Amino acid sequence: MPMLDIKNLTLEIDTPVGWVKALDRINLTLEKGEVRALVGESGSGKSLIVRAIVGSVPDNWRLTADRLSWKGESLLSMNAEQRRKIMRKEIAVVFQNPQASLDPSATLGDQLEESIPAHLLAGKWFWQRNAERKALASKVLHKVGIKDHQDCLQKFPHEVARDVNHKMMIAMALVSEPELLIADDPTRGMEATTKVQLLKLLTRMNQTKELSILFISHDLLAISSMANTMTVLYCGQTVESGKMKQLRKRPLHPYTKALLDSAPSFRKELPVKSDLSALDGTIPTLQHLPIGCRLGPRCPRAQKECVKVPAVRRIHEHYYSCHYPLHRDKL
Amino acid sequence: MTPLLSVRNLTLTQKHRKNWLDKAQIEHFGPIEFDLNRGETLAIIGENGSGKSVLANLLVGAITPTSGTIKLNGEACVLGGHAEHNMKIRMIFQNSNESLNPGITVGSMLQEPLRLNTTLNERERIQKVDDTLRQVGMLRDHKYFYRHMLSDGQRQRVALARALIMEPEVIVADEPFAALDPSVRSQTVNLIMKLQRDLGLGFIFISHNLGIVRHISDRMLVLQHGMVIETGKTETVFNWPRSEYTQRLVASHQSLMPNF
Repeated sequence: MPMLDIKNLTLEIDTPVGWVKALDRINLTLEKGEVRALVGESGSGKSLIVRAIVGSVPDNWRLTADRLSWKGESLLSMNAEQRRKIMRKEIAVVFQNPQASLDPSATLGDQLEESIPAHLLAGKWFWQRNAERKALASKVLHKVGIKDHQDCLQKFPHEVARDVNHKMMIAMALVSEPELLIADDPTRGMEATTKVQLLKLLTRMNQTKELSILFISHDLLAISSMANTMTVLYCGQTVESGKMKQLRKRPLHPYTKALLDSAPSFRKELPVKSDLSALDGTIPTLQHLPIGCRLGPRCPRAQKECVKVPAVRRIHEHYYSCHYPLHRDKL
Repeated sequence: MTPLLSVRNLTLTQKHRKNWLDKAQIEHFGPIEFDLNRGETLAIIGENGSGKSVLANLLVGAITPTSGTIKLNGEACVLGGHAEHNMKIRMIFQNSNESLNPGITVGSMLQEPLRLNTTLNERERIQKVDDTLRQVGMLRDHKYFYRHMLSDGQRQRVALARALIMEPEVIVADEPFAALDPSVRSQTVNLIMKLQRDLGLGFIFISHNLGIVRHISDRMLVLQHGMVIETGKTETVFNWPRSEYTQRLVASHQSLMPNF
């Protein structure tokens, strides 16, 4: 049984033009010890999925799902307290904008120590526990690659660089020893060496502690180096999902192919300074979503039938939803 | 042949003191030397805080250097002033979203540099705005739009149009692709390469994305702690990195590369 199981998750938002489906029947599963990448451009609803799992969806949005379960228990029917306990012990989240999600009025050290759960501390007296907290905090900081921990712990979020804040968020997530780490764009704006360091850390945690990771990003290079499986999102619809290797070798959906082609590093044969392939246009806004397959207006293979939402089809463990997938040559 | 832009011995010394009793911390930057030919692309890479943005700001004249010369077409530039040759080096900022004024239309945003620096009258200015918008692949009507009405890619195009409108010879960009989605990023890269082919622009950009650096740049400059530690043809630097930092950078990039 998968650890996290999401089936037909739909999220509707009330806008001036009526209810809009920001997420349209999303399917996602995550086994124990699996690293799943969730890929999509901004506005494709990646962060909304995180919010749905975490449970921070505003009351005036409509959230429905056939299944949204954590270790076999439905998250939707839980009360707030049960859910909070799961979030504290078992799931940890690294949010997208560290500068905005850290508390500006407390030092980084205080915030990190606060996120250490009580059951990890063995000391009987408060001074023992305080010392343990301090030791644990500096240990986890070394792990994420901050060398100068004393200096860093005393600073406020605005006093340190962006990537230090980012590492701090990751440290705060990892310190509670979760079973699932949801990392929302953890490598954004990082330079290559730091990025590799972070990816190695996550891979090591995954292998030694069986940490499952939901890796949300659009950095395909980072994803392909660590993820086992990948789910591609476009505009709130799951477009394709399957094993990383298969998807990379033979994408079936035109959007996945476009996404893979857009990274010059994936194409060694590409001559220097030649044009990169890109889909025309940009991702539509929520108010102007096309009907049917949402890629329709930008898709090079779109035809009349694409105004209907394609059903999910599968080849072994490779799921895709397209009327004219790439393995069928004839149009 | 004289190079389009030639930078010699550029240095900057900044003093920081937290408190007037403290000893001032002195930060040295440079010396930096490089040449840029017409139609060439120079990439600047380096870790955070290595002075990449400082270099970009020095080149466009937002910061006055302590010493050194910047020559454009063999003529020395007096940076920081509003002399005509300074209009030939233009900058694109990191976050196109925040560098555009939300309160005025794209048209007036683009007209502003023209109004301040040229003697064109209103009709000529509007004509120029229309031409530039078409050049970056947008419509004439987009000049009536405000920032929030545009998508990410379109904003990036407006930022590019604002740089292009003075008919520059060199464009300096501070992480132009970092905040963009993959497909929009490819579009922008294509657009910049096309403009470079058509207009013979010199393009200097800062980036973390080594894949793109390798793809579009002719030469690169590696900075560390405000010093140039390596410079050369992109292919040479990627294949035979000499300094330890560059070796580490290239090795980590290679380790991410898929092996087919």
